[in-house]
Amino acid sequence: MSRRHELRTLLRGAIRPPDNDSAFLLDVHRRAVPRERMERYDDSYPVDLLIVGAGAGGATLAQRLARRGWKVVVLESGPFWDPDEDWVSDEAGSHRLYWTEERIIGGSDPVELGKNNCGHGVGGSMVHYAGYCPRFHPSDFEVRTRDGVGEDWPISYEDLKPHYERLELELPVAGEYWPWGDPHRYPHTAHPIAGGADVAREGARKLGIEMRVGPVGITNGAFGNRPHCIYRGFCLQGCKVNAKASPLVTHIPDAIEHGAEIRADSMAMDIEIDGSSGRVTGVHYMNDGRERFQRAEAVAVAGYSIETPRLLLNSISRRFPHGLANNNDQVGRCVMVQGAPQVAGRFPDEMRMYKAPPPEISSEQFYETDERRGFARGFSIQTVGPLPIEHAQHVLGHGHWGQALREYMRDYNHWYTLGILSELLPLPDNRVTVVPSVTDANGIPVARMDYSQCENDRKNIAYAKQTLHNIFEAGGAQDVLATDRYAHLVGGCRMGSDPDQSVVDADHRAWEVPNLYIADGSVMPTQGSANPALTIMALASRLAERLDLKRDGARGERKRRRPRRPQRRPAPTRAGAG
Amino acid sequence: MASVDYREAGHLPNLRPDGQPGPPAELPRQRNGVTPQMRGRYPKYNVLEQADHWDPVTREMVFERARTVPPIRFFTAPEALTLGIFCDLVLAQDSEPKIPVLNMVDAKLFAGELDGFRYAELPDDRETWRRVAVGLDAAARQHGAADFVNATEDVRERVVDALAKGTLHGEVWDTLEPAHVWKVVTRAMLSAFYSHPWAWNEIGFGGPAYPRGYARIGAGQRESWEGAEAFERDPVKDTEQRGDQEAARP
Repeated sequence: MSRRHELRTLLRGAIRPPDNDSAFLLDVHRRAVPRERMERYDDSYPVDLLIVGAGAGGATLAQRLARRGWKVVVLESGPFWDPDEDWVSDEAGSHRLYWTEERIIGGSDPVELGKNNCGHGVGGSMVHYAGYCPRFHPSDFEVRTRDGVGEDWPISYEDLKPHYERLELELPVAGEYWPWGDPHRYPHTAHPIAGGADVAREGARKLGIEMRVGPVGITNGAFGNRPHCIYRGFCLQGCKVNAKASPLVTHIPDAIEHGAEIRADSMAMDIEIDGSSGRVTGVHYMNDGRERFQRAEAVAVAGYSIETPRLLLNSISRRFPHGLANNNDQVGRCVMVQGAPQVAGRFPDEMRMYKAPPPEISSEQFYETDERRGFARGFSIQTVGPLPIEHAQHVLGHGHWGQALREYMRDYNHWYTLGILSELLPLPDNRVTVVPSVTDANGIPVARMDYSQCENDRKNIAYAKQTLHNIFEAGGAQDVLATDRYAHLVGGCRMGSDPDQSVVDADHRAWEVPNLYIADGSVMPTQGSANPALTIMALASRLAERLDLKRDGARGERKRRRPRRPQRRPAPTRAGAG
Repeated sequence: MASVDYREAGHLPNLRPDGQPGPPAELPRQRNGVTPQMRGRYPKYNVLEQADHWDPVTREMVFERARTVPPIRFFTAPEALTLGIFCDLVLAQDSEPKIPVLNMVDAKLFAGELDGFRYAELPDDRETWRRVAVGLDAAARQHGAADFVNATEDVRERVVDALAKGTLHGEVWDTLEPAHVWKVVTRAMLSAFYSHPWAWNEIGFGGPAYPRGYARIGAGQRESWEGAEAFERDPVKDTEQRGDQEAARP
């Protein structure tokens, strides 16, 4: 082991990210992001980059480029959250965190959206993701070559690796040494796990399945002005503690500090293109009931796998009669989800699975293709920790209603739940389109997502589900309940090396529009069986590097703008500052 | 009266020959706070007593939920009658006190609070609920009843079971996919029922947990304030065996 590595292992949580002060810019006494001094740009000012969407992709990109002196505005359709005032420690009361505008779902296996996978507001869906932050495996970037299915990426794992490492320090990610994929360590040590996770881990061990603690984007120890996790179990309802990582606390504060404007409550409706040059000139958006137009030198769309295609498809011009960057008919195609069946097991002891963060332990032992299983690619195993409403849906999904449902729910505290993330393959007919006859409050056609599984998908899900049954059986479960669902969204505007088969190139630039970029999970050609958040951030981080290199190159000099004001020295804190 | 040890799982429907739980009347009576139908597993546990430990925004929201019965404004009176019986059946609310599930669903639909998606062949959730009222009547008529409200308990149960299994057909059900409709209506019902603190009392859920959090997260552990499970369905024996003199006193 190198000395540097050894030192990092020893210092762990004491290492501060070298170029992101977000955790130190937060207030000690309130959770809201300080933005009294946020820069404001005039609509008529052509900002260097206009980003649509302040989630994992958009916020990371904004922070990186603002640090490099770019003038950046981020349009976000939802509110700028104040966790103290806007969020509640309550399942049903967290409805506002989700994208609740109308969308239509079709296909033979329709995917439920809303709270399942779609965010709204600054921080995006990472505000209500569980917190799992695994890396993709090196194999994910070449599944066509290795396994003959899906698609190869135009970039490799090595391209993202430095960004993974940097982001794991910034979130920060806590977990045990990770033996799968490209083996690596995490900056924060693993969290303690609850009784249910322990029983599941023991069950898995008996079957020769290894489960490890983490990796979760939750502070284990103070980190800047972000406190330690309090194990209250409401990760999916927005972290009122500021312990769980979301761009709202990990990248937005630093972006603001370096002059980015995060313009909340601003719904992008149409990207304008100049007919003669073929370049985009800005974005029409709705703010406070008024239509506005922000000018920009370049636009990066980061609205995730439904809204990004929707915005492109609704941006109609003479040059692009079927939607912006869609003359090759690829926008919206190959949208993907992961198969996410859940199995709950019943134990003699009370498990009270509402305690501790839902993400506790996971296994990537089944991640890669194993021909003996009878299908290509694999799945990962994770913990879920459903609160009462979610668990009631699980019980009902198994087929119980009435008195049986009530009896199972009275038994809630004896249950523990594991979930699967099955890699489902990209299929061109799984597609986001727009429905001209159904419009939102602004008169913009809504999105429709069609989704159908292929044979490989069904085999993967069935095998994975049986594995969970086996784990619980080995762990001594007295009864099991299973239900089917999906998790996550990626794809829809995939990157590739063939302009006819993809929407953007390896640098996220639209093949058909020279100053239009896509900076979210929709660029992913495949989705592995890892939760996508960290990879979306890593892609955006890499994109920022590429963009900055290009611009410097174009100007013939590496001229960095200084931050618009001398950077504040973060207030010294007792812990975390290292 | 049957004795139940909740370390065993024999009370669970999957493990019983008829697939149904024992008679709910044999469950422990709630002695503190309220549960739906005043039965529960944690007779002395009232989550609302913990409200001082909740953050003010959450506390206000939960108390508002517990004390208000929203008026029916979205559904018509006949729709509300049909759907009210339907909700009670799905959630097994066979006596008072009841969580006002249909009122809570009505409030959400009246406010236009939807969930962010709808199945391609279904109208939006508001219209779907109205069609369910029509569809329940249609299905009840297929069993010879005048409508759902006037059907026997047995017919109603068969109708709901067919809806749950996705096997309804004829009239409205030829244009609505029952399996999808079931997901839409149960999503709203479960979200209302299990968001109510009375239901949290029944199942022993800790409720809002900010800023206090949890310290005892291991198997078989509970916080000092969390409710203990009854281990005997007879309330008198239960309290005696626990040495719970205060509760045992007449």
